Amino acid sequence: MVRRVLALPSGRIAVAVLAVIALLAVFGPWLAPQDPLATSGNTLGAASGSHWLGTDYLGRDVLSRLLDGSRVSVLGSLEVALTALVVGVIPGILSVYLGRAFEWITLRLTDTLVALPFLLFAVAVVALLGNGITQAMLVTGVLVSPLFYRVSRAATLAVARSPYVEAALISGASLGWVVRRHVWVKVLPPIAVALAQTVGVGFVIVSSLTFLGIGVQPPAPTWGGLLASDLGYLSQRPWAPLTPALLIVVTVWACNLLADAIRDVSGEAGRALLNSRKARANQIDEAGPAPAGGAS
Amino acid sequence: MSADAIPCTRGGGMSTDAVLTLEGLSVHYGARRRRRRVLHDVNLSIAPGETVGVIGETGSGKSTLARTVLGLVRASGGSIVVDGEEVAGYGPRQWRALRRRGVVQYVFQDPLRSLDPDLTVADSLAEPLLVQGVPRAEAATRVRAFLDRVRLTEDLLDRLPGELSGGQRQRVAVARALVTEPRLVILDEPVSALDSANRVQVLQILKELRDDGVALVFISHDLGSVAGVADRIAVLYRGELVETGAARDVIAAPQHPYTRLLVRSAPTLHSAPADRAERDALRALLHA
Amino acid sequence: MSTVSTLAESTVAQAVLSVRDLRISDQANGREIVHGVSFDLAPGRTVGIVGESGSGKTLTCRAALGILPVHFEVTGGAIELDGRDITGLAPAEWTAQRGSTISAVFQDPASYLNPSLRVGAQVAEVIRVKKRAGRRAARRQTIELLRAVHLRDPELVYGQYAYELSGGMLQRVLIAAAIAAGPRVLIADEATTALDVTVQAEILDLLADLRDRTGLALVLVSHDLAVVAQLCDEVLVLRQGEVVEQGPTREVLHHPRHEYTRLLIAEHEQYGLDRFLAPEEDV
Repeated sequence: MVRRVLALPSGRIAVAVLAVIALLAVFGPWLAPQDPLATSGNTLGAASGSHWLGTDYLGRDVLSRLLDGSRVSVLGSLEVALTALVVGVIPGILSVYLGRAFEWITLRLTDTLVALPFLLFAVAVVALLGNGITQAMLVTGVLVSPLFYRVSRAATLAVARSPYVEAALISGASLGWVVRRHVWVKVLPPIAVALAQTVGVGFVIVSSLTFLGIGVQPPAPTWGGLLASDLGYLSQRPWAPLTPALLIVVTVWACNLLADAIRDVSGEAGRALLNSRKARANQIDEAGPAPAGGAS
Repeated sequence: MSADAIPCTRGGGMSTDAVLTLEGLSVHYGARRRRRRVLHDVNLSIAPGETVGVIGETGSGKSTLARTVLGLVRASGGSIVVDGEEVAGYGPRQWRALRRRGVVQYVFQDPLRSLDPDLTVADSLAEPLLVQGVPRAEAATRVRAFLDRVRLTEDLLDRLPGELSGGQRQRVAVARALVTEPRLVILDEPVSALDSANRVQVLQILKELRDDGVALVFISHDLGSVAGVADRIAVLYRGELVETGAARDVIAAPQHPYTRLLVRSAPTLHSAPADRAERDALRALLHA
Repeated sequence: MSTVSTLAESTVAQAVLSVRDLRISDQANGREIVHGVSFDLAPGRTVGIVGESGSGKTLTCRAALGILPVHFEVTGGAIELDGRDITGLAPAEWTAQRGSTISAVFQDPASYLNPSLRVGAQVAEVIRVKKRAGRRAARRQTIELLRAVHLRDPELVYGQYAYELSGGMLQRVLIAAAIAAGPRVLIADEATTALDVTVQAEILDLLADLRDRTGLALVLVSHDLAVVAQLCDEVLVLRQGEVVEQGPTREVLHHPRHEYTRLLIAEHEQYGLDRFLAPEEDV
């Protein structure tokens, strides 16, 4: 499936953008040219040779703070997505097979989770358990897990009633075999789509929380926190909020683009799409040596 | 021409070595007040290598009969003996053990939907063997050795079901049911979705199978589509077996009014205008 | 009225539908799909078209109804309905023709009815539009029609929805709608294919009954030669857009000339009921 996604231009762009962001998250702190916490007398400075993106109200280097802050945002959003994946997918698939009671309980639980506003809940959890992005993101992950539960349950239901699964059962296949061999392949693409979407949503949540100053102690840099503090000095540096805002927007956009690309290449429609592209490519190859300008 | 009196039911005595014996089988759907009777007191025995056609209209319970024998639907009464084992009270584990022996297989009506669209022909065909624990390499050779019997070529093995014609798909579905060398194969309308040439080809394959000693249960709404291959015919009407007998007898001298209507309704090349009046009379009789 | 070729007129004087060397092409790739189909159909008579999927039998019917799919066009020959060539009709003229002169029923009746409207209202709608009848009169005539297609309890069926009816009943409702405006030609394209054999026989009997009572001309299309043989005076066997055999039903069944027709007959003689039911009359 990875190869199929990369066959699409939009898939390539999305993967490239996300790879850059991921590299920033891993190597950001080392790449930072200066100490992100070091203050200086040069407050609210314009972009210069030593400070590429200028300095903030305490004279700290903005570029260094952005690079250092990327880790919190990326890790936070991944944490949301992976928590939601584990908490949602497993009961989603099992709800089809484990009998009525399990199905009923998990369905009611997801209904309850959907009813809770996750941003408010995350704020409340931070207030209760103390200031930490990890706890807040874990809770958010659980709260957005109904998406995964529903997506995986719907896909599994569609496969579970199909004749080829019955054929496998008639041959003596166990439940585990059926899930591994038939269900998994059909459930994976919609889950991948949901995962890419959720990473984007997680990003927005991390940014929102840090924007509000929740989850991270003040001197530590985050994208949301940078955006918030830059907004306070709009009159002095009107262009400053652009960089963190742009970073957030581009990352979320890349996640959604990736989700679309995965959806486009999966399933019957995806196969047809790729086949038609392949056929067209072959035609062009064959037509390649033909003299240019020939009537077609 | 035929002078002997034709017994309405025949062949209950061979149950000792039968591959399938149903006695007093009944099935209900739903619970309590919504409980509906789907099958009632069905008695049928199938000898090794015998081909039996089960004929019935939509809703007559013919698919339920097949699904009960395969353990997909629970019987509410009576006994089902498959290959010498009483299976009516079996739980999931016992069913799985029985199925892994590959004694009974099933061919679905719709060949497109009965093959996983994401598995190649080779993978679909190997599945029943892999489930039994046959090593991958051996399964592949056994699948290859099998292709000839169902008129499939090796170059189809790497294709997906979506890339096959309707006739090829149905032959793959038949092949998948046969790789475990079952003693009994149940086929649900295996040729209804096929055109003439493919229909003849699949029926020919089934005939050869019967000659190899495999017992076949051929389920259809159309007496005509089983007439060419069935030794015996059982007619299911509203959940009950109303007539069982040798194919020739059932078709040439049907006893029950519904069987008579079936014979008169099946499209034949030599139908007479008088059939129309007879059909009207039989319909009136059945609806009375 | 006009004095166009009195000779041709006399030979097909009674034909209500005549198809002359009909050719249909796929404009997308310029390939010809149907290579010259011809037949004449008189009132009260039945012509059968036999062929597998892709043989062009459905395209031929669609051309006669003016509902060819996009890209497909009549590129040769003529289709005359009541002596008038209809291949070049404008969309508005087609709308006037369909239903009142020529009509059709197809496979899968459920997909031709709106699931959220009562079936009776949908048949009544045809009468109100085509015959400009009032609400009450349309309802009365619909119930008469439902009775005419042998539905038990037509008042009850009038108020039911498509999902409440069986496949055979739905096909009867569609036949009622198709004959509501009193067409002279009815095309049944695989109209009984998805039904149980006993129900198929009921529908075929109904069509024969309508033909005998009202002088309706029938075009019966099927992949099964035996279905066509039951009802038709003349049979065309189509294969890959080509008419490989054409003639009176009896002639085609007993003295098939083309190999493909022989295959269709052999299928029934070897695998069908014909194996056990020897013809009592002529051999």
